Amino acid sequence: MPETSSPVSGGTATAGDPTEVELRLPADGAYASVLRTLTAGLAARLDFTMDDIEDLRIAVSEAAAMVLDEADEGAVLDCRFRLTPGELMLTISTDSQTPTPPDYESFGWQVLATLAAEAAIDTAPGSYAVRLTVRSSLES
Amino acid sequence: MTADLSRGSAGNGRSAATERTRRISSLLFLRLRDLDAFEDIRDDVLDEFRADDTCQALLLKDPREALLELHMPLVEHCARRFRNRGEPYEDLVQVGTIGLIKSVDRFDTDRGVEFSTYATPTIIGEIKRYFRDKGWAIRVPRRLQELRMQISATTAELTQSLGRSPTARELSEVIGCSVEEIVEGLESSNAYSTLSLDATDDDSDRGAGQSMLDAMGVDDEALEHVEIRESVKPLLENLPPREKKILLLRFFKNMTQSQIAEEIGVSQMHVSRLLGRTLEQLRESLESEA
Repeated sequence: MPETSSPVSGGTATAGDPTEVELRLPADGAYASVLRTLTAGLAARLDFTMDDIEDLRIAVSEAAAMVLDEADEGAVLDCRFRLTPGELMLTISTDSQTPTPPDYESFGWQVLATLAAEAAIDTAPGSYAVRLTVRSSLES
Repeated sequence: MTADLSRGSAGNGRSAATERTRRISSLLFLRLRDLDAFEDIRDDVLDEFRADDTCQALLLKDPREALLELHMPLVEHCARRFRNRGEPYEDLVQVGTIGLIKSVDRFDTDRGVEFSTYATPTIIGEIKRYFRDKGWAIRVPRRLQELRMQISATTAELTQSLGRSPTARELSEVIGCSVEEIVEGLESSNAYSTLSLDATDDDSDRGAGQSMLDAMGVDDEALEHVEIRESVKPLLENLPPREKKILLLRFFKNMTQSQIAEEIGVSQMHVSRLLGRTLEQLRESLESEA
């Protein structure tokens, strides 16, 4: 591993060739830790620092909590990662019959917006999604 | 030994305060173990400390208690070495004090060593045992416990040398394991201590003494209203149409009694009476339900 220069072991991620990772989970808070662990694992391979990973964990928890609140009964949490060197983009979405409009005053959003480089809430009839982008502090 | 004790401060390079603590400590032990010998030199001793009331008072207190009081800074010093390991500092001082009590009771004055030399390992031993006995909040395999300690030590080292937080790869290179294992180790560190809701936050920048429970949300005020509204609903359904309309106009359309009187064609006095009676009925039904 130490001699591998590629950020994603076994992968060939370069700037123009993002790696996609997808995870589908029951929309249930009990699975949030699986999402956090996977996120931390991916970030570790993208040369995020320990502090970055800690921030990312919190950001993902908040994003997941926001989406879980909107999920329909028995819905699935669809988590898509786009990995480029030093940057992780995550979209968490779920089916939501009646999504509430984004609340940019909420505590969860404030935390997310502070920790992530970019964050957005996308609502459409029948779906609710939160997108966040986090960059390694080594990149900037 | 009496001769040895009455020698006074030697002043061989140690600070005067340390020297005095040692002197008082040995005098207190003499008083604790051999009261007659102490009484023989009592006047000389009090004369020696005539300039220092606190020392005199200490020497005449219950000697065991005075010894504990005198050496509390030693316990605090030992406890400080174990801070930031997930246990409250006050708890460490408390178990350290147990070590001090044991040391005072077991110290052999004839050995010719300083009390602090004997007490320090005993106090630290007690604190270490506390950590060992208490263990992890969630059981984690030994391999991961050790890895976690390595990660936290190496993180501190690398943060120092790099001037920033290290990456998982940098950690894995120094420790000599895979990135996967680092991630696994990080995961396990969350299991070391579970947070008490009542524990206060040590970070003073957010206002000291704030507990997790304080930071947690409260029930929405509107929630209570839902319940009241739900129980009032059937009662409202049973009201005669005119009374229902008056309530509606008064509380939902926010009309005055005179405006209502005009709207439904009765006197304002009558509206007032009807409103009062209706509200009284609602209140009674609600109370009898509860």
